[in-house]
Amino acid sequence: MALSVSDDLTAPEVIADPHSYYRRLRDQNPVHWNDRWGGWVLTRHDDVVQVLRDSEAFSSDRMGYLERELTENEVEPIAPIFDVLSRWIVFTDPPLHTKLRMLVNRKFSPKMVETYRGTVRKIVNDVLDEIEPQGHMEVVRDFAYQVPMTVILELMGVPDLIRVKIKEWSEQLGLFFFIRADEPRRRQFATQGISALAGHLTHYLTHVIEEKAKNPDNDLISLLLRAEMDGELTRDDVVATCVLLAFGGHETTMNLIANGTLALIRHPDQWERLKEDPGIIKTAVEELSRYDGSVMTTVRWARRDVEIGGETIKAGQRVLVGLSGANRDPAQFEDPDVLDLTRDPNLHVAFAHGIHVCVGAPLARMEAQEAFTALTSRLPCPKLETEELEYLPTVVGRSLRALRVVF
Amino acid sequence: MSAEATIAVNLARCVGSTMCIQVAPSVFALTDEGQSCVIDAGGDPMERIVEAAENCPMEAIRVEDLRTGTVLFPLTEES
Repeated sequence: MALSVSDDLTAPEVIADPHSYYRRLRDQNPVHWNDRWGGWVLTRHDDVVQVLRDSEAFSSDRMGYLERELTENEVEPIAPIFDVLSRWIVFTDPPLHTKLRMLVNRKFSPKMVETYRGTVRKIVNDVLDEIEPQGHMEVVRDFAYQVPMTVILELMGVPDLIRVKIKEWSEQLGLFFFIRADEPRRRQFATQGISALAGHLTHYLTHVIEEKAKNPDNDLISLLLRAEMDGELTRDDVVATCVLLAFGGHETTMNLIANGTLALIRHPDQWERLKEDPGIIKTAVEELSRYDGSVMTTVRWARRDVEIGGETIKAGQRVLVGLSGANRDPAQFEDPDVLDLTRDPNLHVAFAHGIHVCVGAPLARMEAQEAFTALTSRLPCPKLETEELEYLPTVVGRSLRALRVVF
Repeated sequence: MSAEATIAVNLARCVGSTMCIQVAPSVFALTDEGQSCVIDAGGDPMERIVEAAENCPMEAIRVEDLRTGTVLFPLTEES
């Protein structure tokens, strides 16, 4: 069958409007072999859930895969960062995954997260106190970034002084693996010291961890250190997990808040609806996550031949699991392109599914609930300064470079 | 061990994170559909069962004291 859909996942029109692209793909060829990317692309809700649930057939060992793909000379300069990333919960398979996940999960369970709600509410309102009198803001930088960054540093027990640096280092790290695999710049970044830059984050957190080991507290780093003392984790595991939390703890929530704010601005009736009835905030955040979530895709590697939607995924092949595609699948959602803040049930996969379901999801949800409640109750629905919005050209993250608004 | 709890897994919420199975492996198991189910409500001590419910990232598990009917988790019921 001739496809009218290109295989260029980072073409400007795809980056600008991924939802239309994945809809066309789902309509025409829902289990699609993308020759350019070198793997299968899934866009149906059922298929996506099948893959995410089956962690035995589908591995998450991204670093192992990359390592096999690169030459020895290419791996050498980035070996230290590889070592850190290969210990990230998101890129590990059981049994290491189970061990790390259980530890971190305790601090991020819905029950624990509720105990942070007051703190988060105060942070959100402090940030808005600064913004409100100005009559304009750059949503990503001034609002969406500030809230999760402040929260995650506090939970981890990392001094706040360093936050500007952490943002810079995290962006470098994000470029390293959010960028498309065939992007020549990835190799360039790798060889020109990207790992050194991201390495600063590792280096800094290693220092914080050493200090924390002398004076343990009640924070997340101290919890991980206790697990190290009990022989459950190595120091390298602790460092890697802290890098993941500093990075993942703000990047994705920042995008969720920014994308959600944009969706509300483009649907002023929904902004007003939330303002008038803040009681709908929980379903509202689920719907904003579904409608334009922060992570569009995730990748898995088949360990054995598996049949998906009539096609055989062969052992060793990779699969681009289309979370955004699944979240707009009409077989699962009525009027999937309509933003309805009271949609219920809403079985979206914005935080993935299965054993790798986002460990920080309860925290991200609560932060987003507080952010959108305060935003809509305190500000009138803003206007965009420009309709020309720019997103980072990646297959994974849905990341606005900036969102300038006036109100 | 005889069951002391009534345990319900909300399948509209369960995403198969398997956190409950890690905490209370004699109570919970994974179905062929990749969701959690109760195999033996008395398989682990009560505090383990509550801990399992607390660790669910989706708050998909409800635990009731079988004798008194008191809801042990979640502490605030959602609509």
